[in-house]
Amino acid sequence: MSAIVSVRDLRKKYGQIEAVAGISFDVQQGEVFALLGPNGAGKTTTVEILEGLRQADRGSATVAGVDVTKDPTKVKSLIGVQLQSSAFPENFLAKEIVELFAIFYDRKVDAMALLRAVGLEDRAKQKSEKLSGGQRQRLSIAVAMVNEPQVLFLDEPTTGLDPQARRNLWELIRDIRKRGTTVFLTTHYLEEAEVLCDRVAIMDAGKIIALDSPKALITQLLGRGFSKPVLQQQANLEDVFLDLTGHALRED
Amino acid sequence: MGQILSYTRMLLRAYTRDWVALFFGFFFPLIFMGLFGILNFGSFGHVGTGIVDNANNADSQAFRGALAKVETLKITVGTLDDELTALKKGDRDIVLVIPADFKIAPARPGSAVPTLTMYENQGRGQEVAVGSAILTQVIDQMSFAVTQSAPIVTTKVEEVAGRNLKYVDFLTPGIVGMTIMQLGIAGVMFTFVVDRQRGVIRRIMATPISRRNYMAAHVLERLILAVLQVLILLAVAVFAFKVTIVGSLGTVLLMSVLGSVMFLCFGFAVTGFVTTENQAPAIMQLVTLPQMFLSGVFFSRDAVPAFLKPVSDVLPLTFLNDALRQISTAGATLGDLPGDVIGIVVWSVITFVIAFRFFKLET
Repeated sequence: MSAIVSVRDLRKKYGQIEAVAGISFDVQQGEVFALLGPNGAGKTTTVEILEGLRQADRGSATVAGVDVTKDPTKVKSLIGVQLQSSAFPENFLAKEIVELFAIFYDRKVDAMALLRAVGLEDRAKQKSEKLSGGQRQRLSIAVAMVNEPQVLFLDEPTTGLDPQARRNLWELIRDIRKRGTTVFLTTHYLEEAEVLCDRVAIMDAGKIIALDSPKALITQLLGRGFSKPVLQQQANLEDVFLDLTGHALRED
Repeated sequence: MGQILSYTRMLLRAYTRDWVALFFGFFFPLIFMGLFGILNFGSFGHVGTGIVDNANNADSQAFRGALAKVETLKITVGTLDDELTALKKGDRDIVLVIPADFKIAPARPGSAVPTLTMYENQGRGQEVAVGSAILTQVIDQMSFAVTQSAPIVTTKVEEVAGRNLKYVDFLTPGIVGMTIMQLGIAGVMFTFVVDRQRGVIRRIMATPISRRNYMAAHVLERLILAVLQVLILLAVAVFAFKVTIVGSLGTVLLMSVLGSVMFLCFGFAVTGFVTTENQAPAIMQLVTLPQMFLSGVFFSRDAVPAFLKPVSDVLPLTFLNDALRQISTAGATLGDLPGDVIGIVVWSVITFVIAFRFFKLET
């Protein structure tokens, strides 16, 4: 496996606050990689630098072989993104949103095939702003795939979704990975990182403080003599919720 | 270029589903025109015209004869004192003094031309506008030059060629100008403030499309919409309200595009200072309302109070309305309207510079 995202000593300051304080890591081709961390840890800043949306102060970052600091437009054409707190323009049908973004990449796409891949075939003729939260996230993944990206960046893709919609999105991300696309996501749902990711980097106060597979990180923690103060339950409240309400996706 | 055109086509298609924009862009101006047109708000029977004939020769009688054929004018002939007294009492709208040296002769270069003096009733702006327009036209037809001066009341005369000029003839170019302004300012402000705040533009800028192409498609979309709106308004005016458009349709459309460019620049400039959706409606009213009332949309600018006149004279919509009205009611061409064209170009340049400096796609 070779690195498709490569970051070296990346730094970004906002005023006096160093949001990204010299981080280095690689993302391997074909893996699902997550950047974890509390709010304000610098995850979104890091991702936005990699997406060519922000300039780093120092350090280097290459994505799919292209130096982001030198040619952000080229990087944009090679990756797919889903941004936090962004929206689609209004009065476009779901199918048109896909076609619209294909125009932005100067490409022709089979919009229906992309919608089918995210399970939105029957919503093609609906205005995008009328879709439910989960449907909108799936549409935004379909849109992120219009240019057959080498890396798919998902910034907190499941925030605000109900458990059914979240699991549905996990399935979708697994499908994308199976087709060979590298997925780079940020999340603050640790369970999500654990079930979905090959490797995770934990970020706090602008620095990466741990980077490994979820299983290895847990093993290391146990190796340091950690044990939970309460007895490990065999199920949690989410399991109860899903048992009672089922896994079927709700369409608001 | 292909990308710009494809994006423009998508934007236009989405526009057809935007009921709010359609209402304000297309139906609202039609409602205005319908209301004012049906009520014939500006209707008046006649223009009270006093004539003081100091020449009383064959030429002046021919001139009076020509004026008498115009139904709109209600002509009274009398002495200067009597007519001015009547004007002050409000019994006359205009008083025209024919000088003793009056003669109908082709003006030779350098030769003195007879000076007609016109007194205008300041309180009757609309009648004065129509009356003086008719006079101007009759005089033009009789082909001699005229210098106007107005000793007691000074008002700039709207040069509207008024062969049976109806109010709706006067109104139509005003509505067209207003619509172009609304589309330029409101169309830009609401789209970009909302799209910026909701992160729509951020999302688009995460794709490889260049800012230049993105902006070009939005500008092109609005220019196309402006032309469509003008065509629809004119079609309704001509077929439903029997409006006569004297000038060429091509000139009207060309002027509409110029005006649209100016108001798009204006819209982007103003949007540079609007950060939230809540501010947009207030700022929108602040910049458009004065122009709706001071730039001669519904009424002649002669009705504008003197202290607001200097402001009214230089508002962007004043130039556009004046130009559209001259084309539509008097058959002017762009070459006849250097003042308006310069005004529009100057406003476009100023607001473009402001927009370039302050308008940001992202916050």
